[in-house]
Amino acid sequence: MKWLTLAAKNVLRNRRRALVTLLITAIGVAAILIGGGFANFTYVSLKEMAARSSGHLIIAHQDYFDKEENTPMEHGLSDYKTLAKKLKSDKDIRYVVPTLEFTGLISNGDKSTIFMGSGVEPKYEFKVKGPFITIDDGSILSRREKENYPKVMLGKKLASSLNAQVNDSLTLLSTTTEGSLNAMDVTVQGIFTTGIPELDKRSIIVNINTAQSLLITNKVSRMGVHLRETETTFLKYDEYTEKYTEVAWKTWLDTAFFYLGVKNLYNRVFGLLGVIIIMMVFFSLYNTVTMSVVERIREIGTLRAMGTYSNEITRNFVLEGVVISLVGVGIGVVISALTSLGLSMADIQMPPPPGRTSSYPLAIDIPANLYLITATVVTAVCLVAAWLSSYKAAKKSIVGALSHV
Amino acid sequence: MTNIIETWNLTKHYQQGKLRVDALCGVNIKLPSQAFTALLGPSGSGKSTLLNICGLIDNPSQGTIHFCGENITHASEERLTTIRRNKLGFIFQGFNLVPVMSVYDNIEYPLILLGVNKKLRRERVKTMLETVGLSTFEKHLPDQVSGGQKQRVAIARALITQPKLVIADEPTANLDTQTATDIINLMHKMHNDFNTAFIIATHDDRMSANCNTAYQLHDGVLQ
Repeated sequence: MKWLTLAAKNVLRNRRRALVTLLITAIGVAAILIGGGFANFTYVSLKEMAARSSGHLIIAHQDYFDKEENTPMEHGLSDYKTLAKKLKSDKDIRYVVPTLEFTGLISNGDKSTIFMGSGVEPKYEFKVKGPFITIDDGSILSRREKENYPKVMLGKKLASSLNAQVNDSLTLLSTTTEGSLNAMDVTVQGIFTTGIPELDKRSIIVNINTAQSLLITNKVSRMGVHLRETETTFLKYDEYTEKYTEVAWKTWLDTAFFYLGVKNLYNRVFGLLGVIIIMMVFFSLYNTVTMSVVERIREIGTLRAMGTYSNEITRNFVLEGVVISLVGVGIGVVISALTSLGLSMADIQMPPPPGRTSSYPLAIDIPANLYLITATVVTAVCLVAAWLSSYKAAKKSIVGALSHV
Repeated sequence: MTNIIETWNLTKHYQQGKLRVDALCGVNIKLPSQAFTALLGPSGSGKSTLLNICGLIDNPSQGTIHFCGENITHASEERLTTIRRNKLGFIFQGFNLVPVMSVYDNIEYPLILLGVNKKLRRERVKTMLETVGLSTFEKHLPDQVSGGQKQRVAIARALITQPKLVIADEPTANLDTQTATDIINLMHKMHNDFNTAFIIATHDDRMSANCNTAYQLHDGVLQ
């Protein structure tokens, strides 16, 4: 404590210089934390979106992920209900959601266009999709649909293309599992948007029973397993791949290409910015300590003559680096936390990302691990800078140091 | 009785460009443990060089030097630092106090290096402050006291560890006559009180008059 007090006193010898160094350190730390907090928020949101879209774990037929289908549902899951029942007994699993993917033509009588359909279980599907699907008109599909009155939900742009409104009647045409064509009349239950224009132009959602009737099958394309905790994904993956070998398993990360792309890009952009900021902090502190060392060469000589080891002299300068870095990091953390809270509460809308139509609220996370790592790295950088700039001076000849003017 | 410092044929030369400067030429001295020794000579005579070598902050080019019976001619820097910490005190012409440390802290510093516990440090510093007449200035910074008081602090700092030898380089050069007299008297008193040997490079006749031995150097040669 005695040495730390002495270091603090030495830092305050030149208050203006110390203040500039502190500000550079604090602003650098705040910039890293705010940038990192924004990136972290983006990662968490995209992770959530990816996991909600596909499920934390995806179950499919052994050939589903690797081979092309010659006929619809060739690589579908047949006895999926039994497997779903077994999985639901695991208390770590929230939902097991089957999906049947199919394509075909949709027509209003005058105009036909291509669709990409999803047969879903409404009971779970709209719970897991949460905020990542917005109902523009009408309502979501009912859990209990009358068999003779199948319903459909249309993507917003598709509805617009077909000039379809809620309660309008449309016809779906698709290829069955046996290769023949089948048609079905459906009523528009709702119009939705996913925020991705390309999807909204082609997507339809029907009840899974409707899709199975259209394709004349009792299979589904895949099942999404939604866990209670995303963090348990890989643990559960290992457990289930050993336990249920008759099906193929993937994690959400295997299919989250957008998430991986954005993360890769942000890691590089923010990583490079972080390195530049750290270098600025390094050179700032190096300069400060070097100037301090030059001004105190005679004092170093005196202390060495009195029996202070050169490593003790270096340690004193390193402690000055510690003082500057701790105060700078402390101020930076406070600036960052307050700015992050302020920006998150200000309800600022970010422009839509490329390929999207909807903006999203700006939020900046305050992740403890990012704060801890940044504080540690900046402190370490300050220590290295202080050590480098004082090491040589501490080894200088005592006579030379004492005669330094 | 063992001598504090003993040298044989001590030589020190510097290279200034192509010119070789012989600062010390075959110096032999024996400094007993009760010495209060003056080192006299004109500027450039080698006083400071000899003082630096005796203070273990410079190495001779040739010759041998023993400190308290130990041959330290080729001792490592670490060993020399340990000896300085435990057995030597320094008084500089320019006082060389640490400006951010109070009078108390400056005097306490060598005791911290020795690892003396806080309670004992406090007792010894308080006693020393009384001895040098600075009890009321313990919280003052060096900038807040006079030149004479600074030199008193420097003397207190040099003697707080009760060293075997104190090296003093022109300790009265920056002081007025009255203050210089006070400092000479104080150093003499401390020499008697602490049984510490002093070796003092000086131009001050009053200082040399108070010394029990005097070495005269001329062009690096002991006269």
